[in-house]
Amino acid sequence: MDLLITGVLIGALLLLLAAGVWIGLALIGVAWIGMALFTQRSVGDAMALTIWGSASSWTLTALPLFIWMGEILFRTRLSEDLFRGLAPWLQRLPGRLLHTNILGSTLFAAVSGSSAATCATVGKMTLPELQRRGYPDALSLGTLAGASTLGLLIPPSIIMIVYGVTAEVSIARLFVAGIVPGLLLAGLFMGYVIVWSLLHPQAIPPEGERPTLADKLRASRHLLPVLLLIGGVLGTIYTGIATATEAAAVGVVGALLIAAAQRALTWATLRDSLLGAVRLYCMIALILAGAAFLTLAMGYLGLPRHVAAWIGSLGLEPWQLIAALTLFFIVLGCFLDGISIVVLTMGVLLPTVQAAGLDLIWFGIFIVIVVEMAQITPPVGFNLFVLQGMTGRQVTELARHAAPMFVIMVLAVVLLTAFPELVTWLPQRMAG
Amino acid sequence: TAAAQSVKWDMPIAYPAGNFHTANILMFAKDVERATGGKLSITVHENGSLFKAPEIKRAVQSGQAQIGEVLISNFSNENPLFGIDSIPFLATSYGDARKLWQASRPAVEAALDKQGLKVLYAVPWPPQGIFSAKPIESAADLRGAKWRAYNPNTSRIAQLVGAQPVTIQAAELTQALTTGAVNAFMTSGATGYDSKVWEQVKYYYDVAAWLPKNVVFVSKRAFDALDKPTQQALLKTAADAEARGWRESEEKTAWYLEQLRKNGMTVSKGSPQLQADLRKIGETMIEEWTRQAGAEGAAVLAIYRK
Amino acid sequence: MKALNRLFDLAAWLAAGFLIGTLAMVLLGIAGRLWPALALPGSDAYAGYCMAAAAFLALAPTLRRGEHIRVMLVLQRLPVPARRAVELAVHAVGLALAGGLAWFSLRLVWQSHAFHDISTGLDATPLWIPQLGMAAGTVLLVLALAVQFVEHLRGQPAPAAPGDEPARIE
Ligand code: NA
Ligand code: NA
Repeated sequence: MDLLITGVLIGALLLLLAAGVWIGLALIGVAWIGMALFTQRSVGDAMALTIWGSASSWTLTALPLFIWMGEILFRTRLSEDLFRGLAPWLQRLPGRLLHTNILGSTLFAAVSGSSAATCATVGKMTLPELQRRGYPDALSLGTLAGASTLGLLIPPSIIMIVYGVTAEVSIARLFVAGIVPGLLLAGLFMGYVIVWSLLHPQAIPPEGERPTLADKLRASRHLLPVLLLIGGVLGTIYTGIATATEAAAVGVVGALLIAAAQRALTWATLRDSLLGAVRLYCMIALILAGAAFLTLAMGYLGLPRHVAAWIGSLGLEPWQLIAALTLFFIVLGCFLDGISIVVLTMGVLLPTVQAAGLDLIWFGIFIVIVVEMAQITPPVGFNLFVLQGMTGRQVTELARHAAPMFVIMVLAVVLLTAFPELVTWLPQRMAG
Repeated sequence: TAAAQSVKWDMPIAYPAGNFHTANILMFAKDVERATGGKLSITVHENGSLFKAPEIKRAVQSGQAQIGEVLISNFSNENPLFGIDSIPFLATSYGDARKLWQASRPAVEAALDKQGLKVLYAVPWPPQGIFSAKPIESAADLRGAKWRAYNPNTSRIAQLVGAQPVTIQAAELTQALTTGAVNAFMTSGATGYDSKVWEQVKYYYDVAAWLPKNVVFVSKRAFDALDKPTQQALLKTAADAEARGWRESEEKTAWYLEQLRKNGMTVSKGSPQLQADLRKIGETMIEEWTRQAGAEGAAVLAIYRK
Repeated sequence: MKALNRLFDLAAWLAAGFLIGTLAMVLLGIAGRLWPALALPGSDAYAGYCMAAAAFLALAPTLRRGEHIRVMLVLQRLPVPARRAVELAVHAVGLALAGGLAWFSLRLVWQSHAFHDISTGLDATPLWIPQLGMAAGTVLLVLALAVQFVEHLRGQPAPAAPGDEPARIE
């Protein structure tokens, strides 16, 4: 029965998407079909209640605000400055300014708890600039899609809060545990860019004259506004003035201040940034609404729960269990968003995970990385959607560009499984 | 009877698998299946995986789920009676809490009945105390404290002790405690244990201000659709779950406090001064509640105090 | 049609206003902790309501600008007549789904009113009021889809995303 349901739903989703039905509405359609055919529940009221709940939830407010912040910064000289400041430093690193995507995402990940917001904000700054300078699209889009998922792994992180509450592990420890794997992943992304650039030297735009240290330091003054903004937002989080969610509002204020300082704060800037942000957010919100409803349908149907229970019943060795779960989450991640995956499966999986003797903090980081993969796998991958909204490229093309980053994340899972200390060492150093 | 087919119910609840309420509900669901010979089976959707906490009541009311569990005092905005178990220092022991539930049950049941809900059972959380980053000798020490307020009651307590009510979502509490955005809040030792609160705060004052309850209710329409023996079996199982839940809650209270101590927290009942100060605040709030709840509330209080 | 398009524009402006409202409410939450005199009980809930209103009211104008994303791979490769047929079918499916969403959003408002559903937070708002934004926005989405359906029927679809501002980076 479960196999039949799965087949029908995946078939319906692919058909709706291929025909060109708007993605959010397609998800609503699939959820509707699933509930109407395979449950006795009243579909419409449950849909409206769930969509309302998810669309009005407080923790989500960070997303539209960060998107607005990106739209404001896009209309300032900030990205130009960012590149002018970084260019001399990255001149001799193979791949040069392609690393701005990764460095920018890693920095911004420390401010934002979501991967879509990281993708939209960093992308608004880097993509036009990289394109203007003639960097290969495949790499600039791919690295951005991949690196912006670090928003989930580097604290603060919404998904870690969800997991922490579910698994009853310390959220503070989870946050700390994410730092080393986050930097590791960023390093792997940069390594990929370096290797790729060494193999394709002609694809990277040529460098100007070799900058001296004095040049580099002089150019670094252009980084001041970006550093002030990120420092300001981080500062309000870690002094307790703002929570991680509220930091987005601080970011908007900071972006407005930068725009004012650069005399870019005109009525037109304000209007265009607002309308642009509202539409980009609305596009994502419709998909989030569809995803929330699909999650509800999955809750009623019990599919993820049944598979999770089945995996739990196999009595696997720890490494086999991790391999099986990675596969399971990759498949699930093609269709559901990260928070839904955690909420729908953890109740069933946690006993299995504990019985296998896996550390729950380690497992949390594992979950975050597989959820990061879900952000860039088609047909339902939120970073792909954000990028399609910003560039007009098709999800399939974007997914292809992001595929190497997906492979790198799988590699990261292998590394963390082989060397669990990468995760557990830092939180064990915490007091208490 | 002829309609002896198997009925499947969905039960959304808000708390995660490790919680004792959830454990009790899972046991309840198993018992129901056994007691009805498989005629009624309940799928428990824990941790807000089907509906989130604020939506559960509405979901059962409008027939999207047949049965659910809520912290009833969350709904005191709707009807002050739902908040009777959260009036500070009205009922501070398990014995009193039981008496208060017996006194208020008919009124709460009637109010929920009007909304199409039938109460099955209720189980209290361990008593609510004060978690604080610094020691508290009297209510005066709470003046200016950043006090987490998550409902009208906790906000009012903050006002009365001169603390600053601060709104922080549960998801962000840990971080807020770390950064000092919040340095005092009230909850049970159970919740403090679940969220490993000792990583941020060091003092727990077990003042037993109130014992809030989770109520399990069923949609009347779904209940009426069951045959008589199944209804009987369900009610019997619910009564067992209630007895088990109260026992479990009381037994676990001491265990939770012990865990807090083991993890380096200073746990005490609070100085006589603190208790006296808080009792005074309790009197004010009981008075305010009575004004709000009108004759119906006064009647319930009269029964309780008899 | 002109009047409808102006209506969609108005919705976009309202949505923008609600995004400012979201910002204001979150800032008020921060300010309220720093200076208790500024505290507005329930500001977190208001921020959520503003955000929801912004998202739903922007649905129709975003659709009209072709910014709700969809997979165009197959459509782009079809010959014009077939493409028109598929577009009509897709719009019909979209109308059905959006219609369902709008209908049940209206029912949500009505039920919240009938049940006296009140927010459980410090704001204690009757929920049917903020839910009006969801109902209005989804109804407008249905209207916008209907307009586009008619345009395709007449064989004159509006060009996607008029390029008067750099909403996209390309
Ligand atoms: Na982050
Ligand atoms: Na995906």
